[in-house]
Amino acid sequence: MMISIFLRRALTDIRQYLPTQMMTTMVVSLSLLILTFFCLFSVNLQHFVERFGNELGIVVFLKQGLPQERIPLLYQRIAGLDGVETVKYVSPEEAFKRLRSYLKDEQEVLEGVDPRFLPPSFEIQINRAVFNLTRIKQVAGVIEQWPEVSKVQYGQEWIDRLEALSRIVEKAVVIGGLLLMLTAAFVVANTIKLTVYARQEELEILRLVGATNSFIQGPFLIEAFLQGLAGSAVALSIVFGTYVYLERMLGLSALFKNFELSFLPWQYVVAIISSSVILCVMGTALAMRRFLRL
Amino acid sequence: MREGDTPAIRLKGVSKRFGPGNLALVDIDLEIAKGEFVFLTGPSGSGKSTLLRLLFCAERPTTGEVSVDEMNIDTLSGAQIPLLRRKVGVIFQDFKLLYNYTVFENVALALEVIGLRPDQVKKRVKQVVEGVGLGTKLNRKAIQLSGGEQQRVAIARAVVNRPPIILADEPTGNLDRKRTGEVMMLMEELNARGATILFATHDERLYQNTHRRVLRLKNGKLESAK
Repeated sequence: MMISIFLRRALTDIRQYLPTQMMTTMVVSLSLLILTFFCLFSVNLQHFVERFGNELGIVVFLKQGLPQERIPLLYQRIAGLDGVETVKYVSPEEAFKRLRSYLKDEQEVLEGVDPRFLPPSFEIQINRAVFNLTRIKQVAGVIEQWPEVSKVQYGQEWIDRLEALSRIVEKAVVIGGLLLMLTAAFVVANTIKLTVYARQEELEILRLVGATNSFIQGPFLIEAFLQGLAGSAVALSIVFGTYVYLERMLGLSALFKNFELSFLPWQYVVAIISSSVILCVMGTALAMRRFLRL
Repeated sequence: MREGDTPAIRLKGVSKRFGPGNLALVDIDLEIAKGEFVFLTGPSGSGKSTLLRLLFCAERPTTGEVSVDEMNIDTLSGAQIPLLRRKVGVIFQDFKLLYNYTVFENVALALEVIGLRPDQVKKRVKQVVEGVGLGTKLNRKAIQLSGGEQQRVAIARAVVNRPPIILADEPTGNLDRKRTGEVMMLMEELNARGATILFATHDERLYQNTHRRVLRLKNGKLESAK
């Protein structure tokens, strides 16, 4: 019974105070928009760091003159290591062929060189599911100890840089996200406060006719819930639209063709919508408190 | 008032102080019987509005006891205040209407707060609005009405839930003579139906030739009673 009255009053109020309601919703949207864009940026930056690191493999150079029958055994051993996804054997002949094609017009420098002068090697890719930068280091470290191995290369410098970047991104996401959330909370709470203050005469009249606090608060909280929902929906829609546009643009660009853009995971979407709703409802409840006292 | 009857309104040794040195009411003793129509007069700033505000619990007395329809204001909890206000219809000089709402919506508010069914609300509001002569303007927004009409909407809202007590704080202050006459007739009619009325005004013409009791406030003190 009361719920239907609250809903009806909330809808009447939305109609009556449409410009104010739209202004509040817009402030909620804009405040969340900055936060949502920041989330999109940080999610993609983290994905980029992971993806880039994933493309780094390990190359294991074997000692020259290693008996051929040792190769399958080493292959098995490497493939059996935790986190290893693929192992490819590169014979000295294959390595020589690659070098020739790499040199292109300057292939003559290889004339008279023994095609078996390069050491045999294994190229290893780490499993994407269990991938992380430290895993590459661990696998490389294990293989390096084997007597058959002369050298292990795994882009040490790149991994160190990526690790450092990853750490910075993580910190920036936490600090930046918190600051933006606080800013959004501050702006939204104050806008709601002003909206409630603008309607203090209505609150006073409701109290005069004998309305209980819950009767007065009910419709305001429903309106706040809808504002939070609409505000976050608008912010997420704008960010999604921008994401679709950027993805299309990246697809057309030769430079970024392989760069995959990701939208926010559903957990982020749920978190943004719920924070927006909670913020609006709490802001309204707090702003109304002083009008509900005697 | 017959002996043994509980008064509708009773104030005993009531004082109200707003900060140091600002005494709005001083040691007021007053009893108003059920069904009585009483004028409360006095110049601006004499404490008329403060006294009325004590009666619908917009203010609490600094000292003394206030009871309204057998409810003791001093011991009233926050949750009980709405219950008191449902027993008291208040009419103000500035009407206190929601101007973006229609006549119907403004009057219905007093019934919705007590949880009346929509069909009952519709029926009762229509009846009362017709009673104050605004039956054809039920769906007009309050802002589209004249001052006199707005005051009649305020009266309709104050009486729609049939409160036993009506407090009127300068309800004719913003109205011309004709509209004032209409409001006075409505108040007389409500009193005839049994409502206790405390009517605050500084307009002497309203009580000059009345047979009603007239209370006079000066500097927060109840000076005389006719």
